[in-house]
Amino acid sequence: MSTNMAENQQINPIIGASVPRIEGPEKATGRAVYTDDITRPGMLHAALLGSHYPHARILSIDTSRAKALPGVKAVLTGADLPLNYIGMFIKDQLPLARDKVCYSGEPVAAVAAVDLATARQALRLIEMEYEELEPVTDVEEALEPDAPVIHEKRDEYPTMYELPEEPNAICFTEFMEGDPNTAWDKCDAIVEDEYLVPAQYHMYMEPSSTVAEVDGSGKVTLWSSTQGVARSQMYTALALGLPMSKVRVIAPRIGGGFGGKCEFTNQPITALLAQATGRPVKLTFSREDDMTMMKRRHGGKIYMKTGAKKDGTLVARDCRIILDGGAYADESPEVSPVAAFFSQGPYRIPNMRVEAWSVYTNLSRASAFRGFGNPQATFASESQLDDLADQLGMDPLELRLNNALEQDDKFFCGKTIEKATMRACLEKVRDASGWAAKRSGGRPAAPGKKRGIGMAGMSHISGLAGAGANVLLNEDGSVTLNCGAVDIGQGSDTIFTQIVAGALALDMDQVNFAAPDTDSSPYQFQTSASRNTYTIGRAVKKASDDVRDQIYRHAGEILECDTNDLELRQGGVVGVKGVPDAALPFIAIAGRALWQEGGPIMGTHNWLYTPQDRMDPKRMLLRGFALMPDGIGIFTFGAQVAEVEVDEVTGQVEVLEYWAAHDVGKAINKTSVEGQIEGGIVQMLGYALTEEMLWDNGRMINPTMMDYKIPGMADAPYKIHSLLIEEAEESAPFGAKGVGEICAVGPAPAIANAIKNAVGARVAQIPATPERVLTAMQSADDAD
Amino acid sequence: MKYIEPASLPEALEILSADDEARCLAGGATLVAMLNADLVEPSTLIGLRRIDELAGISVSGDHIRIGATTTHAQIAGDDRLTGNAAVVRDAARQIAHSAIRNMGTIGGAVCHADPNADFPGALVAANAVLEAAGQSGRRQIPADEFFLDYLETSLEEDEILSAVMVPVEPVGARGRHLKFSRTHGDYATISISLVLAINSGACSHARVAVGSAGPAPVHLAEVDALLTGSDLSGETIKQAGQKLMEAADPVDDVRGSAEYRRMIIPGLLQRAVDELR
Repeated sequence: MSTNMAENQQINPIIGASVPRIEGPEKATGRAVYTDDITRPGMLHAALLGSHYPHARILSIDTSRAKALPGVKAVLTGADLPLNYIGMFIKDQLPLARDKVCYSGEPVAAVAAVDLATARQALRLIEMEYEELEPVTDVEEALEPDAPVIHEKRDEYPTMYELPEEPNAICFTEFMEGDPNTAWDKCDAIVEDEYLVPAQYHMYMEPSSTVAEVDGSGKVTLWSSTQGVARSQMYTALALGLPMSKVRVIAPRIGGGFGGKCEFTNQPITALLAQATGRPVKLTFSREDDMTMMKRRHGGKIYMKTGAKKDGTLVARDCRIILDGGAYADESPEVSPVAAFFSQGPYRIPNMRVEAWSVYTNLSRASAFRGFGNPQATFASESQLDDLADQLGMDPLELRLNNALEQDDKFFCGKTIEKATMRACLEKVRDASGWAAKRSGGRPAAPGKKRGIGMAGMSHISGLAGAGANVLLNEDGSVTLNCGAVDIGQGSDTIFTQIVAGALALDMDQVNFAAPDTDSSPYQFQTSASRNTYTIGRAVKKASDDVRDQIYRHAGEILECDTNDLELRQGGVVGVKGVPDAALPFIAIAGRALWQEGGPIMGTHNWLYTPQDRMDPKRMLLRGFALMPDGIGIFTFGAQVAEVEVDEVTGQVEVLEYWAAHDVGKAINKTSVEGQIEGGIVQMLGYALTEEMLWDNGRMINPTMMDYKIPGMADAPYKIHSLLIEEAEESAPFGAKGVGEICAVGPAPAIANAIKNAVGARVAQIPATPERVLTAMQSADDAD
Repeated sequence: MKYIEPASLPEALEILSADDEARCLAGGATLVAMLNADLVEPSTLIGLRRIDELAGISVSGDHIRIGATTTHAQIAGDDRLTGNAAVVRDAARQIAHSAIRNMGTIGGAVCHADPNADFPGALVAANAVLEAAGQSGRRQIPADEFFLDYLETSLEEDEILSAVMVPVEPVGARGRHLKFSRTHGDYATISISLVLAINSGACSHARVAVGSAGPAPVHLAEVDALLTGSDLSGETIKQAGQKLMEAADPVDDVRGSAEYRRMIIPGLLQRAVDELR
């Protein structure tokens, strides 16, 4: 048809425009409806009892006093639930613990009552008897032969991959390229170190929340704070033993996710309570419950060794990554392979071996979190590159430029690079930050402080899994987009609306974005893997193009012209090129289709992200990886520079200014892209400097916003310069790639490298708390 | 739980003394958070906001009187708090975030007696006097004797803190509350409250207290004496810092280890002096 012609047309100016968020006014005025704002007739309120112990056998649970409390409608324990294990790659978890608990805070009982105060009071009346077991809280101790076994039944769980022998191991991955064993002889400089990364809490503003209701036919409807309605539907159905056709999930406005609301949160237990009581049930966690019961980023240890020649050419790397998966596997079988995959960074390292473990511990479960294993690996690799540059007497940015992946190179494991933009990112951030002058000691520091500048390069992906979109032409010529994508606050509703508006030359208010609802939306994996703009956007674009082609077919018949001669005009008009008077509004096309000829116009597109090539087993050794990272997405690149001041008295680090160059393909909405980048950097400022979930013998000691500190406005750099590199990606909608995660990969090493530049001390453990920085400064002084 | 809003202080005192489990509520910045966390379960909440004599700041003679229900924001914004009282204003300015400063009151903060909070050290450094009202009358308690231990004051159970009196003297003094915390708005990891007067190069008055360094502000008369009359040389301040460091008894917690907190006291004292000089 006319597709090629149309795509050669100039891109509509709405693409790239900083259109305000479509849901902005309702959020700013407090009218946005989040899950906790929803009330159903006769609705009950629920609360969960968390385990007091990190590792214990449940000897008995007495719920009789709780059940007797007036207003209590149901008290459930693990024994009351069907034995349906859930999980992504290994089904190792139940909605409530049964027989034993594996982390402190693990839900052991659930109460639904007439109000929240009654539900919470009932929790205090539940009597538990435990037999304490020794907790495993260290990743290396977990792998020791005499370590207490956390999941005695691990090998009986349904599993999609090969389990390692070590009973506390969740998964093991090994990749190898070249000949890393002999390559060390060719190195003039070798750096070796051990890096420690913390468990970071997602700290979405809205704690996990679900409302569940069962109708007369037994069908369960959930309103939930989720990153994917189809995922919540699948896990809830599995836990309840229902077909997915009996579970409906609707996503209201979502107050942040960052990976923590992928897969499932509290949907299954809320649905079980609704079933047990026959009444609607709301379960919204307190912050403390969310922090102790829900998910977090993988902490862990990384051993890394890197060697280079005198001229700075990287030769070899060896890396061992051990991530703390916590009590249940969740997405761990993907996270540590992704960490392994990105441990080479966006550089040529011909000889490389990496092994990566996720292990069970008696800490809360680790999950997806913005960057998905990459920030951990990149903290180690980018820190190490700076130490290597120091040893070689080279500028660290030059070292990276010398080794940056170019277009003809293959990524680690032999993967094709779609657009090699690493060099462009490095050059852009170098020039914008005034790198050379600052690095040579440009500006003086405030009294009592030392100033430094540091950088990091990074790569990530954008893609993953299946996406569908439907675009319906309404009777009045406006359109409705339904793609089932959840906007978790990053702005995808607006982006998709812009894509439809851009593809059909409509104004923003002529496009209706339909809220995600499994009863009506096409399949959508979930909001993750930097995939919304790229993967879902592509389906949205092609569904819109489908509508355009159908409009052209009608218009060609009415105007008696070849469809190649047609064009779209702004505001929902199709016309003949070069003939201003020959034009038809979409309402006329819709009317014809609905009442005269052809039937309703609905464009559809469904696709599955499929990699150009698989990992190359001839090129390298591959062992024990799950689905990812073989086919997770197209590559994206970035480079970031941080300028810091370090307080000589306290060791406190302040990030003054930040530069971030990112290859975004094409910014659909420039302000939104900049917002993503700024948000990623500030979130990871916390990862770099203050955020760390702490446990004392398995019990979390800082599960509040008072004790666990995220950066606030006053802690952010006074200026973050988002530098966009726009080289259109052919497979992408209008060339656009996702930037939601890669911006979060660089800050920790960029800041750690800036600290080293300022005070000469390497901080190999994040967060770089004032105490750790001061200790590192003192050891560096002692060494001098 | 009952809620009563008496119109006068005597009425409030009568309710308080009749009920051991009653608690006074001013801004609620701390008490409401503790109620939410189930840490306290009072039988009655006595709302103090209708009692006019507890509100506001007035200057009378040799002191500035800050009513107990005066908010942190009011204190932070009052430019009459200069000289010796500047340390109190500087502390108020740095408490938490503006939303909390608009709600929280000096009386509530002081009676909670969290040693990690900003007012206790600042009031000790300002040599403030706390006025306690009881049914039998009022008594005045020097700040040094008010803060006894972690969350413990010398206020009797049937007393209400009515005001904080900050001396105007010494004229020409300057005050600084140097707060070091993990993030803006956090409780201090260490704070130094310092009042100094300098006349022709020599220190004519010095009073320093360290917060977050023990169960109550760390204040040593010998340190004040060491600084007073000196030229505030680096060596003198180092000695003073050393003594405060030795007297400090901080805890290990999420904000820092006890050892680290002790270690940074001398350097922060030097910084506070430099900022005032």
